[in-house]
Amino acid sequence: MTEKKKTYVEDIERTLYDIKDADHSVYKTQSGLTEDIIRDISKRKHDPQWMLDFRLKSLAVYNSLALPTWGPDISELNMDDIVTYVQPDAKMTGDWKEVPTDIKNTFDRLGIPEAEQKQSLAGVGAQYDSEVVYHSIQEDLVKQGVIYTDMETAIREHEDVVKEYFMTLVPPKDHKFAALHGAVWSGGSFVYVPEGVNVEIPLQSYFRLNAAGAGQFEHTLIIVEKNASLHFIEGCSAPKYNVTNLHAGCVELFVKEGARLRYSTIENWSRNMMNLNTKRALVEKDGIIEWVSGSFGSHVSCLYPCSILHGENARCEFTGVTFASKGQNLDTGASVIHAAPHTSANINTRTISKAGGKATYRSAVKVARRAPFAKCSVNCESLMLDNESRSDTLPVMDIEGDEADIGHEAKIGRISDEAIFYLTCRGIDEDEARAMIVRGFVEPIAKELPLEYAVEMNNLVNIELEGTMG
Amino acid sequence: MADTKTFSRIPMRTWRWLGVNESRIPEQLDGTAVKTQQLLVEKGKEDEVILVQRESGQFEIQVHIEDGAKLHLVNAQLVDADRPYTCRVKVFVGKGATFSYTVVEAGASKTATELYVDLAGDDSKADIWGLYFGDGERLIDLNYVIRQGGKRTDANMQVRGALLGKSEKIFRGTLDFLEGGKGSVGRENEEVVLLSPQVRNRSVPIMLSHEDDVDGHHAVAVGRMDEDKLFYLMSRGLDLSEAQRLVVEASFNPVLDRIPEEALKDEIDTYLQRRLSNG
Repeated sequence: MTEKKKTYVEDIERTLYDIKDADHSVYKTQSGLTEDIIRDISKRKHDPQWMLDFRLKSLAVYNSLALPTWGPDISELNMDDIVTYVQPDAKMTGDWKEVPTDIKNTFDRLGIPEAEQKQSLAGVGAQYDSEVVYHSIQEDLVKQGVIYTDMETAIREHEDVVKEYFMTLVPPKDHKFAALHGAVWSGGSFVYVPEGVNVEIPLQSYFRLNAAGAGQFEHTLIIVEKNASLHFIEGCSAPKYNVTNLHAGCVELFVKEGARLRYSTIENWSRNMMNLNTKRALVEKDGIIEWVSGSFGSHVSCLYPCSILHGENARCEFTGVTFASKGQNLDTGASVIHAAPHTSANINTRTISKAGGKATYRSAVKVARRAPFAKCSVNCESLMLDNESRSDTLPVMDIEGDEADIGHEAKIGRISDEAIFYLTCRGIDEDEARAMIVRGFVEPIAKELPLEYAVEMNNLVNIELEGTMG
Repeated sequence: MADTKTFSRIPMRTWRWLGVNESRIPEQLDGTAVKTQQLLVEKGKEDEVILVQRESGQFEIQVHIEDGAKLHLVNAQLVDADRPYTCRVKVFVGKGATFSYTVVEAGASKTATELYVDLAGDDSKADIWGLYFGDGERLIDLNYVIRQGGKRTDANMQVRGALLGKSEKIFRGTLDFLEGGKGSVGRENEEVVLLSPQVRNRSVPIMLSHEDDVDGHHAVAVGRMDEDKLFYLMSRGLDLSEAQRLVVEASFNPVLDRIPEEALKDEIDTYLQRRLSNG
């Protein structure tokens, strides 16, 4: 038997992301996690008393919880080495010109303000290390009552709303890193879309972690009121250092009756990042949550956006792609809780692993007894590009009652010789045939992404193929 | 429950709140000793063994299938409804050998089964067909693992089940493609029919792969009975429970048809039909 050919997919081009800036922080806490550090962060952020109390309570929860007994090994993470708060030398501004040059250059390189100028975004937020340095939103949205601001401003100006929702969906006792987030969170975005308002152009927040050995703990809180709609885009990156960085963000999404929210993420953290992020959506009657999630970066990722379908007819669409290369252990997936009748969910994921990378698809579908006529369809496909890599699939379905309709399908494997043969028979050369198959493999995801990101992903999945035929 | 005290656990853990990492049944049932049975099929030989378990207790079956040999093992569990039962089946499959397994889990108050098949030999094959039936307050806890280490191995895991009453079931099925198992294929499929609002079904189809040159598929379908099928049957004069019985029977048939002894097959069939009518 002749040796089977392999398809090589280029590693993601990281040059752009890996440019480090000089450290521009005006203040850093000591590394580690103590009550004094928490009090210090809280004081510097001018927290109200209830928030300081919340942070301290979360710290106690953090100390009482053990590390998870499942998932990737995170033993190399030593909290004593992590700086939890890094204040950049910049004040939050709504004018791009006022952002300090270095920080501005970083975001310019990443193309962030460009998209805003081209009017393809209705609002932009940019976080640098622990603080948001820029936030803007189109005037007409402000007139309609849409709020898009950094979390710190939200606490000052909309304290009641924040207090009502903050970490109610992801309580600190949920898991150890949710507790950590509750204790040291800083930055992030707050979005409020009033009843009946449709935000037609997406809002985007971009998170950049520049400091070595630091953590980023941004909090994103989005409330989409009755019959309103929004598309929110989140982008993350960091330059590579040879010490561990930590990202333990938290995203809480409230989708009210008849509302629709699309939450898109392209995560491209550097390969020294522990990405232990928690995302959760609560969807009321007739509401729709759509997740589009691309995981390309980080050393270790644990990311499973959860949708709680709380009202009748609530829906969830989840589309995800994960690409694990050398030195990466990406444990991603989704979970859906059907808690009301006639709720439905569609989960569609693709994972690719190469060069010793490890990709795991992990999911949970829970149908509660009070949710008759729930429907859920899960489809996950994994492509392995060599046998140094690992690809695992671990879905769980937990169904109570007899009125559910649940289907799950998964495939694992390599590019089949038959498919190559089919295409080459039709005059396509072998390299192009392989490229077409990989592009086709991620196509269901690429088509869900906003245009700029779809182009970026196609560049990311740039195929470099084994020589010519023969 | 601590790991060491449970009967069985999955090869890769997940969220604890789902309650599927470990078997719900303890390692040791009260006052019983493990009864062990060994089966050896010598090189190139073929054998068929039929085991009918009517007694409660703890059982272990160790199977060794030498190169080029074939075994069809039928394991029918018809233990009294108020007694617990556990069974561990460990199978080694040599080069070019075939392990064919037909298992029926129909009785016992609580049942835990672990099936561990090691497709160690090149070109070895496992063809697993299982059936479970839960009614009353029965707890069924199954953990099937096929490790595909040999080259060009072929694994097929087909499981059919029906749950009624207040029964509860956890089925974990793992296809583990080990490094070096080039050219291996694996299929896993579970179909569950839910027949009562009080049932709870958990399905965990796991696929682990350390080898790119494999072809693995798994599929699970859980749900209520196909209304079109019921409508078709009822429009031909059957009442709802008769129609349901027919649909369940049809889904069980591919498993029951593999039982070579007609008397045993009829006994299981009658037993299941009776329980379906009562459910």
